[in-house]
Amino acid sequence: MGKLWVISIASIFMLLPFLGNAFSPESPTDRRVLVLLDDSAIKSSHSIYFNSLKSRGFDLEFKLADDPKIALQRYGQYLYDALILFCPSVERFGGSIDLAAILDFVDSGRDLIIAADSSASDLIREVGIECGVDFDEDPSAMVIDHIGYAVSETEGDHTLIASDDLIKSDVILGSKRIEAPILFRGIGHSLNPANNLVLKVLSASPSAYSANPKSKLSTPPSLTGSAISLVSIVQARNNARILITGSLSMFSNKFFRSGVQKAGEKTKHEKSGNEQFLTEISKWVFHERGHLKTVNVKHHKVGETDEPALYRINDELEYSVEIYEWSGKSWDPYVANDVQVQFYMMSPYVLKTMSHNKKGLYSTSFKVPDVYGVFQFKVEYQKLGYTSLSLSKQIPVRPYRHNEYERFIPAAYPYYGAAFSMMAGFFVFSFVHLYSK
Amino acid sequence: MLLSSDDPFLARPNSLHSCARQRLQKEERISFTLIEMARSLAGFLVLLLVISICEAASLFQPISDSHRSAALELFTSDHGSFKSLEETYEALRTFQILGIEKKPDVTAAACRSISETVGSSSTPKDLFYALKANSIAQCKIHEKASEGIISSLNAAVSGASLLLDFYYSIGGLVLIKDQSSKADIHLADAEGVFRSVKAFSQSDGRWRYSSNNPESSAFAAGIALETLAGIVSLASSELDQSLISTLKNDISKLFDSIEKYDDGTLYFDDKLVDGHEYQGPLSTTSSVLRGLTAFAAATTGNINLPGDKILGLAKFFLGIGVPGDAKDFFYQVDALACLESNRVSAPLILSLSSAVLSLNKKDSLKVRVTTVLGSNAPPLTVKLVGAFTSGSKDASLVESQELKFDHGSGLHILNDLPKSIDVGSYTFVFEVVLQEPEDEKVYVTGSQTKVPIFVTGIIKIENSEITILDSDLGSVESQSKLDLAAKNAVSLSANHLQKLRLSFQLITPRGRAFKPHQAFLKLRHESKVEHIFVVGNSGKQFEIVLNFLGLVEKFFYLSGKYDMELTVGDAAMENSLLVAIGHLELDLPEAPEKAPRPPPQPVDPYSRYGPKAEITHIFRAPEKRPPQELSLAFLGLTILPLLGFLIGLLRLGVNMKNFPTKPVPATFAVLFHVGIGAVLLLYVFFWLKLDLFQTLKAVGFLGVFLVFVGHRTLSHLAAASAKLKSA
Repeated sequence: MGKLWVISIASIFMLLPFLGNAFSPESPTDRRVLVLLDDSAIKSSHSIYFNSLKSRGFDLEFKLADDPKIALQRYGQYLYDALILFCPSVERFGGSIDLAAILDFVDSGRDLIIAADSSASDLIREVGIECGVDFDEDPSAMVIDHIGYAVSETEGDHTLIASDDLIKSDVILGSKRIEAPILFRGIGHSLNPANNLVLKVLSASPSAYSANPKSKLSTPPSLTGSAISLVSIVQARNNARILITGSLSMFSNKFFRSGVQKAGEKTKHEKSGNEQFLTEISKWVFHERGHLKTVNVKHHKVGETDEPALYRINDELEYSVEIYEWSGKSWDPYVANDVQVQFYMMSPYVLKTMSHNKKGLYSTSFKVPDVYGVFQFKVEYQKLGYTSLSLSKQIPVRPYRHNEYERFIPAAYPYYGAAFSMMAGFFVFSFVHLYSK
Repeated sequence: MLLSSDDPFLARPNSLHSCARQRLQKEERISFTLIEMARSLAGFLVLLLVISICEAASLFQPISDSHRSAALELFTSDHGSFKSLEETYEALRTFQILGIEKKPDVTAAACRSISETVGSSSTPKDLFYALKANSIAQCKIHEKASEGIISSLNAAVSGASLLLDFYYSIGGLVLIKDQSSKADIHLADAEGVFRSVKAFSQSDGRWRYSSNNPESSAFAAGIALETLAGIVSLASSELDQSLISTLKNDISKLFDSIEKYDDGTLYFDDKLVDGHEYQGPLSTTSSVLRGLTAFAAATTGNINLPGDKILGLAKFFLGIGVPGDAKDFFYQVDALACLESNRVSAPLILSLSSAVLSLNKKDSLKVRVTTVLGSNAPPLTVKLVGAFTSGSKDASLVESQELKFDHGSGLHILNDLPKSIDVGSYTFVFEVVLQEPEDEKVYVTGSQTKVPIFVTGIIKIENSEITILDSDLGSVESQSKLDLAAKNAVSLSANHLQKLRLSFQLITPRGRAFKPHQAFLKLRHESKVEHIFVVGNSGKQFEIVLNFLGLVEKFFYLSGKYDMELTVGDAAMENSLLVAIGHLELDLPEAPEKAPRPPPQPVDPYSRYGPKAEITHIFRAPEKRPPQELSLAFLGLTILPLLGFLIGLLRLGVNMKNFPTKPVPATFAVLFHVGIGAVLLLYVFFWLKLDLFQTLKAVGFLGVFLVFVGHRTLSHLAAASAKLKSA
């Protein structure tokens, strides 16, 4: 009985590491998502979005943001792989969740979706600031656009924006072009220019501004023009991904289903671009696109197959690596023409673009520089929307050994000749000196 | 369906914030209890209704096609069959109310599961839903089966102790009475059953689920009313009128406890009792309405309920929009159907085809009055009784007037907006008056309906010009007229002692001065540093004067080319514009050391990534060597002294006469020279292939050998020469 108990405890400990992993190349499909809501009505009013996530195999757990039982981790292990904050007005989370817990969650490589609203609380704003995004400080401000608004029969204050200023990136937004403008109603934010991890995905048009639509403006608004970001993404250094938007209603069924006509344009779209846009971007956030992994990093001398312990200067070598992209179901070969390898010691001595065979194998060959020391093979791959690859492998390079230099140099023949003629002369002289009379 | 207004998000966005505060308490109460309990429907209102409710003026649209398409999406069956009979009923009922053609496979599958349930001995609950579904699917039920059902349900009625037991069994009996050919189904002791159900009622008009559960609920009240209505219709003889009248009393008490939002939207909600019994406002309100309708249909006489409350309930259901959950959708549609068809009072909803009217296009105000499900209203007149600028409490801008009714479209139309209505946002107040006094008993219209209206128009822009002024004298340095409708390419230059003045006038279609919400002048330096100024106005004239002397610090002492851009926009302005004016060459003084630096500008994300330039290592060039011929020539030269030496020896006449003649010394002499030769040969091998260690080893052996044979040879030669000397 006691033995059984020990075994079961041991097996629990062995399984523990698998329970709380973020996106991991080993088990990329295991995605549990915690959805925190201000009110459970959102579950029904935003059901299309949630259903699209569920249909992609995500296990959504809905909780109210002030539920005293919610927790992100238990016994040091995370219970979820991603967090969706659809609770713009929450002043304090229930349970053990607070700002620091959310940041730790992201620091552990897990993903986050934040939707704020014009009722955004200080807490949600702080989460935004930590992600490099500053929501407009004026609590009554909304994004207004008198030129790029969506034509509507029922409202005329131009806070419903039809925006189509999207980032140009297939990996973030999918390869299919988003034709219809995207409906947005909410607050704008600006990006911290010093933060190069955060990207504007949907920006406002140059005529937009962020202000209270009800009151007269006396001072210029703090956010204007295309500096206003409507939807932003962050990819942290640990490849955790964050989506931040100032509009919760852009996820709603109403916006998903409603048609859209941008002011001043003739075309009426049957359906707004929201569903396509938000579904595609959620694929990016949840690592179904743009997540790369590398395997089989190899290097060897040309004509050999084994990896040497060190290289000699001027050796010809071959370097190869296989790169795959996660497609949501499987690892597919990654195809790009800009993967580069560096041969690096303090600074790159060789930087070369690798060629690929369209099946994910990237390779190149080059000559080891005639400088000896401890080098590194480095692949530092950063591309808009993709996880960054950072491989480095140390390899020493030695100079020639004494017997590896050239042996018979023609230019030295006179010296050899002099020495040997001297020896021959000595041999003859030894006879002459001893026996001549 | 271009953003139809039945969405609270679209209709009333700006009220959200202030509303959220007001509702905080309610939210907390609801959410606290939710935590403990069932969450499916709990607190249905907070988001949707918080938004929809704050503003007094609000628009509600009746059920439209968006509901029909949503219904088809929500009630998706698996090859025609649903998970349970309850769901089947809800789907069928929703399709029936919305007038959606039932798919034949849905009905067929429903019939199959109905006959399965009916044929076997099922619980009253299953039978109830099977019969409910059958009331729409109209499948055939065997006489025998129905007899069995009647007897088992009758047994269930007599054995019932909980409210829900009564509900299912009596509900089942009522349904089978309507469906089967036998019309003689009666409750044996209707009055007794009535009293035992009535025993669950509470003094506040709510009901309990069971006699030992003290908590009362409005949801249970709806169920009880439906049950009692069933008992009344099943009773063989007239029931005691006093029972019915106390019940009517209970209903009005129940309606006293109705909860209310600020704009007159009403709903029922239960105090949270127990997780699995708490239903949420939507289903609770729906249940009460269903009970009320059934009871009103089963009994005679009036139930006195104020029309405003019925209208408030209708607005509650319409304010939700299109729920994304099948259950919620059913509750909404079913409740609206009850409202539409009930005998107490059917609400009429006033809606606008467009709340945004253009003065320039001469849009007419079109009002439609319909029932909640969107069918036509009885003959009535719609009056516009007032119009107010939104946010102000001034007197009405218009006189009361009647809207013309257009029979073809069923719309009430006001063709020309009154002259006093200029561009801007307004609240219009309408009054609906029924033409037939008969109808007033059936329909409720509400006293007045407030509707937000946006009036837009094309704003004339006149007298726009941009000038550079000398600061001290105020004299005009250069002046250019602008055409703000098109792109301008004005080129100006100024220094820090000068001023820039931009002015224009805005006039509404009615000839009044117009103040837009957005009037910005933007100056953008080459380095992308932007400065925004609000253009102020005095009367009609909009003017901004930039005194560069005061702005040098703000401009970070950045001289150079500034692009100028003017943005004028307003919700009421149809020709909002963002126009480039041109550029300004600004000459500012040098920055002092402590001047603020311009803020960092965001970098273009596209330029941040991308491949780097390739690097190839430059190898050391090999040392220069003489040509091989030269080396070979010098090799030849090095042989020459040896040749000279040999020739010299021959010329001197060298001989070998001293070579020992005796065999032993001769052998040593030969070995000695062979040893020397071997050492020299070793050196050649050392050069060709041997390494130092092999060579030294061989030299060691050879050395010992040479010393020995050398000593013998040399001592022999020395002895020979000494003998020669002495001789």
